[in-house]
Amino acid sequence: MKNEFHPAQEFQMPEGGRLFVAPTHIHDVVVVKGSVLGGRNMLPKTLDIVPALTADLLDAGTAKRKKHVIRDALAGKGISLSFSSSGDRTEFSGQCFPEDLPLLLSTITECLGGAIFPEAEVKNAKALALGNLAEAKSNTRALAGYALSALLYDTDHVNYARPIEAQEKSVATVRRAHLQDFRKKLGKGGLILAIVGDTTVTAARSAAEKAFGKLAVGTTTAPVKQSNKKIQKENERLIPIADKANIDVLLGVGLPLTTQHQLYHPMLVLVDMLGGGVTSHLMQTIRERDGLTYGVYASLGGLDAGADGHFKIWATFSPDAYKKSVEQLRDEIDVFFSKGLTEEALIKRKEEMTGSYLVALSTTQNLAHSLHTIGANGFELSYLTEYPNIIRAVSLSDIINAAELIPRDKLSLAASGTFKKK
Amino acid sequence: MRSSNSPSVPILDGATFVRSLEGIHEYRLDSNDLQILLAPDATTPVAGLMVTYRVGSRNEAVGYTGATHLLEHLMFKGSENFNKAKKNTIWELLETKGALVNATTWNDRTNYYVVVPQEHLGSAIALEADRMRRANIVEEDRQSEMPIVRNEFERGENDMMHALDKQLWALAYTAHPYHHPTIGWRSDIENVSIERLKKFYDDFYHPDNATVSVVGSFDTEATLAAIIKEFGAHDKAPVISAAIYTVEPKQEGERRTTIKRAGHSNMVAIAHKIPAATDPDTPALLMLAFILGASKTSRLYRALVDTVLATDVSTTCYQFRDPSLLISYITLAPRVRHEAMEKRLKQEFQNIISKGVTAQELTQAKRFLRAYVASRRDGPYALLETLNEEIATGDWTRFVTLPQALMRVTAKEVQKVAKKYLVDDQSTVGYFIGTNA
Repeated sequence: MKNEFHPAQEFQMPEGGRLFVAPTHIHDVVVVKGSVLGGRNMLPKTLDIVPALTADLLDAGTAKRKKHVIRDALAGKGISLSFSSSGDRTEFSGQCFPEDLPLLLSTITECLGGAIFPEAEVKNAKALALGNLAEAKSNTRALAGYALSALLYDTDHVNYARPIEAQEKSVATVRRAHLQDFRKKLGKGGLILAIVGDTTVTAARSAAEKAFGKLAVGTTTAPVKQSNKKIQKENERLIPIADKANIDVLLGVGLPLTTQHQLYHPMLVLVDMLGGGVTSHLMQTIRERDGLTYGVYASLGGLDAGADGHFKIWATFSPDAYKKSVEQLRDEIDVFFSKGLTEEALIKRKEEMTGSYLVALSTTQNLAHSLHTIGANGFELSYLTEYPNIIRAVSLSDIINAAELIPRDKLSLAASGTFKKK
Repeated sequence: MRSSNSPSVPILDGATFVRSLEGIHEYRLDSNDLQILLAPDATTPVAGLMVTYRVGSRNEAVGYTGATHLLEHLMFKGSENFNKAKKNTIWELLETKGALVNATTWNDRTNYYVVVPQEHLGSAIALEADRMRRANIVEEDRQSEMPIVRNEFERGENDMMHALDKQLWALAYTAHPYHHPTIGWRSDIENVSIERLKKFYDDFYHPDNATVSVVGSFDTEATLAAIIKEFGAHDKAPVISAAIYTVEPKQEGERRTTIKRAGHSNMVAIAHKIPAATDPDTPALLMLAFILGASKTSRLYRALVDTVLATDVSTTCYQFRDPSLLISYITLAPRVRHEAMEKRLKQEFQNIISKGVTAQELTQAKRFLRAYVASRRDGPYALLETLNEEIATGDWTRFVTLPQALMRVTAKEVQKVAKKYLVDDQSTVGYFIGTNA
């Protein structure tokens, strides 16, 4: 298999910013994916809702224009734009026609630099946030996720997710001034910007430099992450909810691993071998052989922004077979680590991962997303094309060493749904 | 090889060239009437293959609802030449090479697809051709797969919108098979026999009831030759399957349904009867749905989310082979009452019926339409997915003609279809009530 990717170029932007441009052959589609420094990791835990509320309201009025004027101007051109927040960053995603790239980028910077958060909009955003948190109280997957986070991380760690009730209290205490103060942290500092699709390097670079050049500096460094202090041990947390036909189950454990760790890529391969597709060990046994679930997946989480993260397995089980299914899942995890780490399985998985990487990068959206992730993780641009070679270079001994990082006797369980009485 | 009028369109013995539209070349296999669509694009290193069967849950009846979907699962268990014993199932043969492999089932169609590094396209064609008529449909696999499908059903039941949607269709349709969900009723999933599934396979899985689509990077002539060779091995269906002749009786008044379950969320949804996808009113209905609930500038978003009456809104104009539904789904903000939301939603419908839509709304809708049309070519999967739904309506050329028709829609036509179809007596109203809310 050949590595054939659309050529991407990188340009330095002021204040440590990175611009990636990848012209592709698609017609009439330009995808923008980017972020600037500024996220919940830079605020006290009690204010961790502020970046999300800020992102919700960045296009809800600026010093120059009112909300509907901004949104109608974008809609009139068929431009889509959304803001969101992550641990260290405030992110934006958009799509436009080639001729509208300057308008999309200038709107992004207008919002980042000039959002005014009208009082009425803040009140509405808080009410909507409370509504979304209320919905999460009935979401078995979300509830299991919150519970697992509390089992794996100490409360000061960036990956610790506070309970829904605590977040509701935070929403109530947030004031307009909190959003205004946080917005001031957003500037061109640490900009990561990927522009992909029906554009040229010259056009994209010119539009990016013009739009982001006007922004204030904002935040230029991300906070240093403290390692997880929670002692890992086997714990269990069940969150019962009535009237649910399906139980969401998460098994996980904290890892002494970041994206910069020498065993990061072997760990990716290892986890994919365990639960990364239909041919993975857990899908072949728990689903295909035993018929216990529609899906069981292993993954790494919490590795954003240089943090140490966790290993987790997500499965869904019928309430009637819950206990048996969890026991079988734990047994098969043991079987995999004791018998599944073979040269043959590794070779197959590496081929699958390099092939699926090529398939994934065949869309403009995915290429933009990958370039942004490369920037956010602090990797070189060459990682885009070198990734398949990095995966191919993973050896069996690498996999075995990565497996040693996972304390399998300390896997915690969090599950939510309707549990049958014993 | 003979040549067509276009030098880029090869003509081979065994297949008849039908037409080319916007870079998509249609052929028909002479021996068995298999429809073939080829859309080469050398700018990507991957290729996509899809087989769309014109069978879906509309072809099911009481006792075997969900059969199309369960059969779709069994189709991955192996066929005469690709199976576990030979260690060349689709997963071993293609997923291990990085292929995106999956299948989906809906009301009017079932599709199987792979997106794969281009050098593996030949294997994909051979495998899909083999399982078209030589799939191993056995009881042992039904027994192991049934609980998997049941868990898929259970997952859906956990979701408020999924549960309400199921009830709306069940109430809106009393006779036509759109009444039952594609995944089927739980008891049918558990009890349908292997003999019924085999009969279903034998009734509908034939080349003259299917379309093979290939998109992305591939050698057109070699690929067409491979399709002729592999799929040409099958005969036409021995008996033409009976057409679905059930027509939904005219609805004579508003219908209502309520689901009460533990939970903290509430929804209101209103479904209106609309015609089949190929009806001339469909383009205006699609514009109406967009203007009502497709973006932050839509009518419902401004009226309900911007005012914190709702946390989410959407309007979907379903495009099916038979008359279908246009549904608006509203997730209520805390402390908003269902009755008040229903009244407010109907008021928004009435505003469009009485005052129409603005030129600005139509312009925005058409601009987003242009963006959508461009996005259909963003990678092989996007193109396959769009073609699939048009094939399901019975006319794949809608891929080309529908955008043109949409661009011609006028504000008056949107108002006209609103007046014609947003009628209370032709509606079904659903409430999801979270008892913890």
